[in-house]
Amino acid sequence: MSARSESSWEKVPRLPAGHFVSGLVYTDPDVYQDEIDNIFSKAWRFACHESELPEPFDYRLVDHAGQSLICIRGEDDEVRTFLNVCSHRGGKLLTEPSGNARLITCFYHRWTYDSLGACTGIPRPSGYSKEVAKDSMGLRGLRTAVKHGLVFIALDEGAPDLDTFIGLALDQFSEMLGTTLLEVFHYNRAVLDCNWKAWHETNMDLYHEFMHAVLRQTQVGAMPMEDRRLITFENGHGGSGGDLKAAYDGYKSFAGRGGDVPPLPGTDPTDFRFVDLFPSTAIIARGTVVRIDTATPLGPDKTLLEMRGLGVKGESQEHRQARQRHHNQYWGPFGRNVPEDMIAAEACADSFRNQAGRYQIIARDENLTGQDDAILRAFYKEWGDRTGRDPGNPIDPATA
Amino acid sequence: MNDLKRLLEREAVRPLIGGAGLALDDGDFARFLGYCDDPFNYRIRVWSPDLKKDMTWLEHDREGLIELFKSLPEHLQRQGRLHRQVTVATVEPSNVDGFLVVTSPFVVHHTNLEGQTHTLAVGRYIDIVNMIDEKIVLTARDVMLDTRDLGIGLHVPI
Ligand code: FES
Ligand SMILES: [Fe+2]
Repeated sequence: MSARSESSWEKVPRLPAGHFVSGLVYTDPDVYQDEIDNIFSKAWRFACHESELPEPFDYRLVDHAGQSLICIRGEDDEVRTFLNVCSHRGGKLLTEPSGNARLITCFYHRWTYDSLGACTGIPRPSGYSKEVAKDSMGLRGLRTAVKHGLVFIALDEGAPDLDTFIGLALDQFSEMLGTTLLEVFHYNRAVLDCNWKAWHETNMDLYHEFMHAVLRQTQVGAMPMEDRRLITFENGHGGSGGDLKAAYDGYKSFAGRGGDVPPLPGTDPTDFRFVDLFPSTAIIARGTVVRIDTATPLGPDKTLLEMRGLGVKGESQEHRQARQRHHNQYWGPFGRNVPEDMIAAEACADSFRNQAGRYQIIARDENLTGQDDAILRAFYKEWGDRTGRDPGNPIDPATA
Repeated sequence: MNDLKRLLEREAVRPLIGGAGLALDDGDFARFLGYCDDPFNYRIRVWSPDLKKDMTWLEHDREGLIELFKSLPEHLQRQGRLHRQVTVATVEPSNVDGFLVVTSPFVVHHTNLEGQTHTLAVGRYIDIVNMIDEKIVLTARDVMLDTRDLGIGLHVPI
């Protein structure tokens, strides 16, 4: 056999529909705009963890679909979300990424808002007709719902409720996230030169275990591939369907990991479980510590990643330090795994940017065991349903 | 006499901090460890304005660093070269006799395989330097990073 010819390279793969994806889904500006309009402006999305807003009036800014949002705990303890935009002339209201704001005062003409989103003050209101009055000048509110401590938001007022959207996808995390108060101890952002899906694919693709030195040595052989269980859910979510195992002794400096701090509720130090929530949030637990990452598209070729690490709220300093250590072994900007995933996402973006790469193959069929690509296929099925485009041929020649 | 002592300390510290930086730039980790005490403690710390908390992003003792350096060839790493611009700013006595606290602002530039250079990170080294023995060495390094977006991140100490 020899290298492939031009026609062979560019030909649509002879694979069943859904088993390959065109490179254009990462680069085409119209496809991108469709994603913003039909996915990010419509679906529920993870915004932050409840522990980031412990007290009334605590707020957290969130980037979403090109917009800045304020998640704030009201004086009634409820978490609400607003566009971070003044009703008057569009002043950006809050700029610090987090804080406590009993009153939100716009810097520009000093209109004020409260934690329920109501406009509470307009200087010299007498200059306006009755159309411009406090009563009608509140902030734009967004739907907000909290599940197992995770705060989700939706721009679309017509979206089905959060429970319907999530379905059973968070069940394997309900004990871990929902029975003990957890707390975010790690947060970092990184802007990558790649499409948001290229990042999220690193979470959905198990086959790339082979890329990571740590996973080659601790995970690939830790249990028979056919005993692994993967699962896909309605609405494009997927994840582990039973715990995968890690054998830390395979990687010398991880040996003994987990002996120094109790695992999170409902798990074992050597358990590995994950869920990939559509469109772009992954929750990954490795026994003693859990990571939540979210990808926010900034452009077809730019993605904001936010990574959180969580431990148990109120735990001893010793336990916290151990969890932090376990977190940093795999994750964070100096982790052994995360930089490798980022390199992978940017490297594939390089290939698709000028259409050198034409298709990516997601055709591993292992009956939801081993390193099946079923989670990727479930994602792209939902992606296709929402954008009205075929992931294998997103620019239909008939309508282009 | 005291002034002279301080001056000599400062002069002794400069090639230590500078040499350790050059060793890291060269990826010569054995040479870097030659500048470090046994025991040695290394941390990368970052203040999070998002969480209003201090974070630790990397922490190793000497053995941990040795294991990390040994494992590097197996890992997929950022390619190219780092260049640390380190300036020793202050050299102060610590509250333990014979040890100094040395604060050095730094800028790390990354040069990629195409030869383009960009700023990767800025911050400060807060070093504890052991002056007791003839060999002047780093006993502890806290890297206080200002930069929080490190792009694809790093497998090696800053
Ligand atoms: S823009 Fe906010 S008060 Fe005028
Ligand atoms: Fe990975």
